[in-house]
Amino acid sequence: MSDHMNEGASAPVGPDGVFTLSLVKSGKQLQVPADQTALQVLESAGIDVPMSCGQGICGTCLTRVVGGVPDHRDMYLSGEEQDANDQFTPCCSRSKTAVLMLDL
Amino acid sequence: MFIKNAWYVAATAAEVQDKPLGRTICGEPMVLYRGEANKVAALEDFCPHRGAPLSLGKVCNGKLVCGYHGLEMGCDGKTVSMPGQRVRGFPAIRSFAAVERYGFIWVWPGDVAEADESKLPVFEFFDNPQWAYGGGLYHIQCNYKLMIDNLMDLTHETYVHSNSIGQKEIDEVPCTTKVEGDHVVTSRFMENIEAPPFWKMALRHNNLADDVPVDRWQICHFTPPSHVMIEVGVAHAGKGGYDAPDESKVYSMVVDFITPETETSILYFWGMARKFQPQNAELTDAIREGQGKIFAEDLDMLERQQRNLTRYPDRALLMLNIDAGGVQSRRVIERLLTQENNGVAA
Repeated sequence: MSDHMNEGASAPVGPDGVFTLSLVKSGKQLQVPADQTALQVLESAGIDVPMSCGQGICGTCLTRVVGGVPDHRDMYLSGEEQDANDQFTPCCSRSKTAVLMLDL
Repeated sequence: MFIKNAWYVAATAAEVQDKPLGRTICGEPMVLYRGEANKVAALEDFCPHRGAPLSLGKVCNGKLVCGYHGLEMGCDGKTVSMPGQRVRGFPAIRSFAAVERYGFIWVWPGDVAEADESKLPVFEFFDNPQWAYGGGLYHIQCNYKLMIDNLMDLTHETYVHSNSIGQKEIDEVPCTTKVEGDHVVTSRFMENIEAPPFWKMALRHNNLADDVPVDRWQICHFTPPSHVMIEVGVAHAGKGGYDAPDESKVYSMVVDFITPETETSILYFWGMARKFQPQNAELTDAIREGQGKIFAEDLDMLERQQRNLTRYPDRALLMLNIDAGGVQSRRVIERLLTQENNGVAA
């Protein structure tokens, strides 16, 4: 894990809502623009994440978070589970930090 | 176009027991069922999961369970549970106000926030030991206003029901129509005539001679959204007619709850409440059977009439003196529809 990424995982996301997905297994860095979901960016990069409802209801796309703080927008996880910040639903949730590190 | 903010009969209480029932009321597909404590509920007939009709499901412990994948629906339209799923984010489906009264399930197909039980019509003849009631349901492929026309102009009895309640004098005696607010009344009083077969039968059941001249009356009451109550009866001639003492007459109320299903179909809850021999269950059955046969005679006429009107939607129709009751009832409906669509509370 680079120092740059660790820094980004604690720095807050900018006002434009753009953030970076840092994929720790594949080593990829993907930028999520304001008008796209994390899931769309992952799919465009050829990373297969199972999904179904696309609106934070079913939990199919649940992905492990290893750094940074997700901005949970789903209705699947309980409040307690959301507060743990160790998983998120990339179909609708975003990031509160400039970088979100995923176990992908 | 239907008046949506009003109570309609959606089913008889007997039709909604342990299984859900699918019904379309004023263009709204609904599932009717009994939830907790046997309380009736009406929801959109649409599972939020895959759009399956919930009416194909079943009721378990007061919960409606979808017959496709087991989604368990609450009577507020919110999903309670589903096997293997977290349901918190499931979108709610629409719930409708529903009330059980007088042996019927009434629903309010419009804005649930406007639904008001105090606006349910009040009838003295239901839940009253002095009266007996029997009735049935016909599903008819015609617009609800054609049924209102039919019931607010009984001259058709002479032709459609010639063997039971029709007689030439209906044609020969003019009717009068008056409007009191939303209430339209068309009356016809015939004096010193022979009773038609149905009323001869009723006279005999009430231990009255059936071979003497009678005075006969028909008073049709339309009230919104689409209920027609008809006071009918005969009295031995010269005893005061409509106002004759009970021992000289037989009379009853023809009950018609006309519930629009689509623009070209209705659920027609017909029946008769009578104030003679109320404890005689055999008589109730006999009248129900007789009335059912008589009212079935209207079905073909109404459905073929609807097909003609569908084929020629722009063709102008005649509105004659005998049609005043239907015309005035339609005017009340139009006025209330305009009010409802302009956001004015009824």
